[in-house]
Amino acid sequence: MEPEELTELALAAAVEAGAGYADARWVREETEGLTVTDDRVDDLEAEDSSGIGIRVLVAGCWGFAASAVVDPGRARDLARRAVEVARASAAVDGEPVRLAPAEPAVASWSTPLHRDPFAVPLAERVELLLAACDAQRSVPGLAHAKATVDLWRRRTVLWSTEGTRVDQTVTQTGAGIEAVAVGDGDLQQRCWPNSFRGQYQGGGWEVVEAADLVGNAPRVAAEAVQLLAAPELPEQVTTVILDGQQLSLQVHESVGHPLELDRILGMEAAYAGTSFVRPEDRGRLRYGSPAMSVTADATTPGGLGTFAFDDEGVPAQRVPLVTEGMVAGFLTSRETAAQSAGAMRADGWGSMPLIRMTNVHLEPGQGGLDELIADTPDGLLLSVNRSWSIDDRRVNFQFGVEAAWEIKGGRLGRLYRNATYDGRTTEFWGSLDAVCGPEAWVVWGVPNCGKGQPFQNARVGHGAAPARFRNVHVGVGGR
Amino acid sequence: MTGFGSDRLLELAEAALGTGGDDVEALAWRQAGGLTRFAASRIHQSAWREDLWVRVRVAVDGNRVGTATTHAADPAAVRATARRAVEVARTMPPDPGYPGMPGPAAYPRAGRHDEATAAADPATRAGLVAGVIRRLPAGVAAAGACETRELEIALANTRGVRAAGATTAASFSILADAGSGTGWAEGTEPALADLDVAALGERAARKATDSRDPRELVPGTYPVVLEPNAASVLVQWLGWLGFGAKAYDEGRSFLVGRLGQRVCSPLVTVVDDATAADTIGVGFDFEGVPKRRVTLIDQGVAAGLVYDFRAATGHGVEPTGHGLPAPSSEGALPMHLSLLPGQTRQADLVAGMERGLLVTRFHYTNLVNLMETTITGMTRDGTFLVEDGRVVGAVRNLRFTQSILEALSAVRAVGAETELAAEDGYRAARAPALAIDRFAFSSATTF
Repeated sequence: MEPEELTELALAAAVEAGAGYADARWVREETEGLTVTDDRVDDLEAEDSSGIGIRVLVAGCWGFAASAVVDPGRARDLARRAVEVARASAAVDGEPVRLAPAEPAVASWSTPLHRDPFAVPLAERVELLLAACDAQRSVPGLAHAKATVDLWRRRTVLWSTEGTRVDQTVTQTGAGIEAVAVGDGDLQQRCWPNSFRGQYQGGGWEVVEAADLVGNAPRVAAEAVQLLAAPELPEQVTTVILDGQQLSLQVHESVGHPLELDRILGMEAAYAGTSFVRPEDRGRLRYGSPAMSVTADATTPGGLGTFAFDDEGVPAQRVPLVTEGMVAGFLTSRETAAQSAGAMRADGWGSMPLIRMTNVHLEPGQGGLDELIADTPDGLLLSVNRSWSIDDRRVNFQFGVEAAWEIKGGRLGRLYRNATYDGRTTEFWGSLDAVCGPEAWVVWGVPNCGKGQPFQNARVGHGAAPARFRNVHVGVGGR
Repeated sequence: MTGFGSDRLLELAEAALGTGGDDVEALAWRQAGGLTRFAASRIHQSAWREDLWVRVRVAVDGNRVGTATTHAADPAAVRATARRAVEVARTMPPDPGYPGMPGPAAYPRAGRHDEATAAADPATRAGLVAGVIRRLPAGVAAAGACETRELEIALANTRGVRAAGATTAASFSILADAGSGTGWAEGTEPALADLDVAALGERAARKATDSRDPRELVPGTYPVVLEPNAASVLVQWLGWLGFGAKAYDEGRSFLVGRLGQRVCSPLVTVVDDATAADTIGVGFDFEGVPKRRVTLIDQGVAAGLVYDFRAATGHGVEPTGHGLPAPSSEGALPMHLSLLPGQTRQADLVAGMERGLLVTRFHYTNLVNLMETTITGMTRDGTFLVEDGRVVGAVRNLRFTQSILEALSAVRAVGAETELAAEDGYRAARAPALAIDRFAFSSATTF
């Protein structure tokens, strides 16, 4: 049976069972992850998952039921179960859910692709990754070389009782290398283009080609080996330049999450946490310096948070979150705002949509990384994330990076290992004094953003160019 | 829609056999359950979900291995998936280290399947939530979740393995918010009836009110008592950092060069045991190998590793039953870790501390240095200053950056009561409270 027929059956059954509102999402998700370690294929995971999730509102309470096992009878059963779940929730008094109005969407959309990555023969993918590992292993002293390619495609058919009829297919591709050096009781790694399996973007095989894994492999491997012999970064307060890879995660943790309105309203208090930002802070709270402007833009080409409609059928939008340092907006949904910013996203068929980041960008300034380094008499260049942690209101954070280069007199100097930096969110963003320009601005992918119960994973994007922060505490010490 | 049945699941797995290939293995997995979430003392999300998948692994030409997975529940789809795995295998390069597949074995009893938990309906979960919320003291609001779920696993291969098992789990977590202070409690049991949700609610509320008006404390190294939830996080992380034989072989383990040596206090013994009465699991791993109890740290001495079939074959030892679903670049992992309890009541651990901190829970921990086993994270939902053996007030939350092994080397006493906890919801470990003489807090936050 076609997905549209299943969703239609489910909606009819939900209304018959008493739902005042219902939406049904049929989702098919295909993934292929390939890992080559040294000279052998370590892991090829291919998965094809489809199912249907039905969300209903009954007496102002949400209910949701989902299954991978779908036939017409099961679709109707699931709808009735969702209504039963919603009715049970009414056992606890509370303000009823009201949805902000939204024009029903009737459309289809797909990620533009130059070359469908799923059509690239497995042998071609394996050959590329073996070559990327060989190029790393040409560097003496390297312990292990890894290379990865990840393909992801999700088709969503979303129908609602309000008349939404959306059919969209999102395709994303990732690739990376990881060089590991081991010695004297230490382990160091260098990754390219990013850590945790590389760079991910919306698009096809062209994302893999752009990463130039083989061309970058010798440099990356050599840096991993150099890190083993590098001194530990001493504790100090100094100027730091974060590269785009690290900055994207800084934006993710300390700007994107705190400005999710469900967190601000306490809906994620028990698990992921809340936010130091309050609903009344829009237009009033200084979040950072005037050099800081952040937007959520679900229309950015190549972003992991790029789509045509969110999982409530609200069109993709570009929304200012921070304008010249002042809070300007939030990531919102139909339940939490008078007009949704289109940020409701579910982790496949089996999960209720939650407010998630789309593509949350630090807007570019001007100039290139070389110019920014030349303009920095004394400081550090911190490169590629290794570790991250932030408190449950998104105030105190600590990050670790793979590599830190000293900057002296506007030039890069010695390499340090095991670098960390920490701070408090608004103080840190208040110390931002320069962001590189569009030529250095890249939409980085974060494919592993966790939130919600049951746990949901989201794939989000962050445009970032290297940026400079003053008076940052680096190195872990007793403060 | 509950109770698909592990025997029926095994029949589904068996459909993959006989579709070609030298070796064929089919792992079938089904999980179904409901989760009711609440925040600001109202239920705001509630869901029921059922997932089922069959992963087929096939070897052709002796050592070309491919896998494919389907989420469909009919034998025809499983057979089609097996044929897809054969196609994948034919395109793969030879794997010289492919060890074949395990043969049949007898499996130990493990886990517990409670019919009432498997069948728990949303009204039951909502009723438990409503009861806890009703009993909250004035000025205290609550957030949290009540979950019930059933897990069924079956595995069949062409070497004769036929394994099937089922287990259930119920959990209740509550964050109580008393304005300037929050408190936390959670419990996980194989059966919903064994969860004392009222006691959990009372504990969280008491912690919340005790946490009001926290004072600022200068970061530094302090003696601590970690309650079981916080202590469990240290054990969970150790499980990721090097007990697997593959990680050890590749030099990615903190145990490299330390097996047989003292790595922490003699008061610390860590085992992995899926067969213990209080764990949630089945008696075989994802390759069909019987799960065994493995002592990983024995009275402070690094004592062992866990092996999947590949690593065990390479080392010439028996696999320990810790294989993950194939293919796995990670190798074996301990999934049922437990730090064994001591003799000291939890309350007496606090009474024995002259000046230090009592920590309820950690938040957002992450690895800083693998070989040093250094992690960082925040305290949350109940961090208290202890003076002369008594809690004298709450403190603002602190960030710790601490080597786990160094902390476990400074253990002064081990609590008698244990709890099963999981910071991120899936890598659970059982632990008692720990009294630790030195624990490094590197910075502080504002609440």
